[in-house]
Amino acid sequence: MTEENITSADANSTNCCDEDSRRKFIVVSTLAVSAVCGVFPFAAGVTTILDPVKKSAGDKEKVPWTKVVPLASLSEDGKPAKYEIILEQVQDAWTTYKNVPAGAVYLTRKGEGVTAFNLKCPHLGCAVDYRSKSNDYFCPCHNSTFGLDGSVTDVKSPSPRGLDTMDTKVEGGFVWIRFQQFRPNIVEKVPLS
Amino acid sequence: MNKFLDWLDDRSGIRSLVKEALYEKVPGGARWRYVWGSCLTFAFFTQVVTGTLLWMSYSPSAQTAWESVYFIQYQVWGGWFLRGVHHYMAQAMIVLLVLHLMQVMIDGAYKAPRELNFWFGIALLGVTLALSLTGYLLPWDQKGFWATAVATNLVAEVPLVGPMLQKIVVGGVEYGHQTITRFFALHAGVLPGALIALVVGHIYLFRKHGIHVKEPRPKRDSYFWPDQILKDGVACLAVLLAVVFLTLYFKGAPLGPPADPSNEFPARPEWYFLFLFQLLKYVPAFWGAVIIPLVFGLLIFLQPFIGASRKGHQFNVGFWWCLIAGAAGLTFLAFSEDQANVNHGAAVREADWQAQRVVQIAQEDGIPPTGAVTLLREDHQNRGRRIFAAHCSSCHRYKGHNGRGYSVEEDQSAPELAGFASVDWVTKLLNYEHYVSPEYFGGTAFKEGTMANKVLKKFDEEETKLLPQVALLLSDLAELPYQEPLEEEQRERYMDIFYDDLACIDCHDIDSEGEGSAPDLTGYGSKKWMVDFIVNPEHERFYGKKNDRMPAFGRDDKLSMEEIEIVIDWIRSKPASE
Repeated sequence: MTEENITSADANSTNCCDEDSRRKFIVVSTLAVSAVCGVFPFAAGVTTILDPVKKSAGDKEKVPWTKVVPLASLSEDGKPAKYEIILEQVQDAWTTYKNVPAGAVYLTRKGEGVTAFNLKCPHLGCAVDYRSKSNDYFCPCHNSTFGLDGSVTDVKSPSPRGLDTMDTKVEGGFVWIRFQQFRPNIVEKVPLS
Repeated sequence: MNKFLDWLDDRSGIRSLVKEALYEKVPGGARWRYVWGSCLTFAFFTQVVTGTLLWMSYSPSAQTAWESVYFIQYQVWGGWFLRGVHHYMAQAMIVLLVLHLMQVMIDGAYKAPRELNFWFGIALLGVTLALSLTGYLLPWDQKGFWATAVATNLVAEVPLVGPMLQKIVVGGVEYGHQTITRFFALHAGVLPGALIALVVGHIYLFRKHGIHVKEPRPKRDSYFWPDQILKDGVACLAVLLAVVFLTLYFKGAPLGPPADPSNEFPARPEWYFLFLFQLLKYVPAFWGAVIIPLVFGLLIFLQPFIGASRKGHQFNVGFWWCLIAGAAGLTFLAFSEDQANVNHGAAVREADWQAQRVVQIAQEDGIPPTGAVTLLREDHQNRGRRIFAAHCSSCHRYKGHNGRGYSVEEDQSAPELAGFASVDWVTKLLNYEHYVSPEYFGGTAFKEGTMANKVLKKFDEEETKLLPQVALLLSDLAELPYQEPLEEEQRERYMDIFYDDLACIDCHDIDSEGEGSAPDLTGYGSKKWMVDFIVNPEHERFYGKKNDRMPAFGRDDKLSMEEIEIVIDWIRSKPASE
């Protein structure tokens, strides 16, 4: 082998053991230096790949309040009504979009409080309809049905959980909502972020 | 582990491949002069990796290129460092190319039988320069935009097909989406592909002919592994450290203001193209872009044959030394001419100001889908400076310049307006020496007016002592955003001075219905007062018939009301300390 050729060539000169340790030193340093140079370009940018993971870690608390509708326009008999959610500002990487339609909700008034359900069925994300005749929510895709309180009413419903609620508040006569989407088709309600 | 390697070797022959690669004979032993090729390979490897990582966040279009680079630079975790490494490694590559080339020339490694490999090397030089050229357009900032405009205009100098070629490169007549997408495809696809193909050929030919040994041989023969690789590795490490140092020292690569064809910019290429830039000051573009490159290219192509004789080799080496010296000289001239040019310095500072300003707005308000260029175009601070420079600065000054840092050729003939109506400004106004100096009314008819000769000049010692309080009173009327208002009690006391002690009221009204012969000072320096004044200084409330050349900007429609308010807001904002 060439390996041996070199060793025998080296043995021709000076002390064999000095030569061995010198060679060992060279091999180790060469490997070390090569490793540093080889890893460096990746190391220089690995954080940029991890950036989305790092940023989303603190996002859960940052869901902004969005103004939806005057409280007075909701009927007091607890009948749900559908409203479009228009987010004041949406940040997509470097672009800031203003007044972006982001989805819709059903709002139900109970006295001075308001319940909000995301329009999306927790099963696979179809838009749920309110049926005034039977006074319930119905998903036209896979026939899940939900009561006015959002819970699954029919055992044959494929939806693993009731309709997703979101935080609401009434301030200055307006209904505000922290609009969120949730992971579909699992039992727990887990916000997407 | 050994079993696996045996299996792998049996199926792939990897051991003999590695042996082949590592146990290349190095006649005369490992030497530092052979490291440059490996350094360049390392540099290119770094560029491919860091470039691909940048690609993951970069978006090539006229509304997103600057914006995504801004995102990388200011928002992405560690993005500035990644971009800095890519930027400075590109520059290191140029230096390494020159070193590699000069080593090959001096050692005579370009001569037979290595002619072909020499041409491969020259082609690699060209591709690398093309990578640099296409790379600095990609951030779509002012520097990239204007420098590329010059470079692509040179393309048009090519005989017959030039204008067509230019359209192909630019993607049309105007610079826009298609320019960026084309440059990006060249930079990240075509050119690296060509470079890899050429490098494969280059290394194959290098291996075929072996190392060209520079005599005398210092040591006995050794092998590529590990001795030469250690030297190569240490050199690569030095390059790496230099690039990291530059990245940290300059806090990453610069990012200028977003490209804007309506915003002039002192276009300069990167330093390694400065000699060509300077050359174009002396020779016609056709010579610079076509004749000289052709002649030099042909000569370089023939160098392996010229070098066959001893004299020829000396000529070749001398040629390259002269080329380097010439380029260095031209680069030096380009630098020193810019250094000596006051307006170039101002233009660079103006661009820096814009770059900082647009980043500040982007961080505060975000970037709209129309792109960052609209942030600057609509920014009142930026517009205020521009309106002042265009409409006010031929007579007035702002800190002695035109509001944007440029010196003005005309003599100053109206007051300095930085800090207008501030306590300092009014205090000086009420001092005779300042009043009649060019800084205030020295360039106007008011130098010989009543205020100068019959009022300020005539104040006795007691009266002069009261002037600072009048200055406080007048400045308070301006309600400047950066000054605290006076206490009510102070205001009354100073008003007494204005009315009684100094009897200013005889000519100037404040909150009175008189018919003073001098400008009405009710709300002096406030936004409303300034709007009224700039709309029509000839109004009897102000100078009336005594007005000396101040245009009625509003009455005569020289500026829109919006523009008047923008420039006033800017004049009334706190002057930045320098």
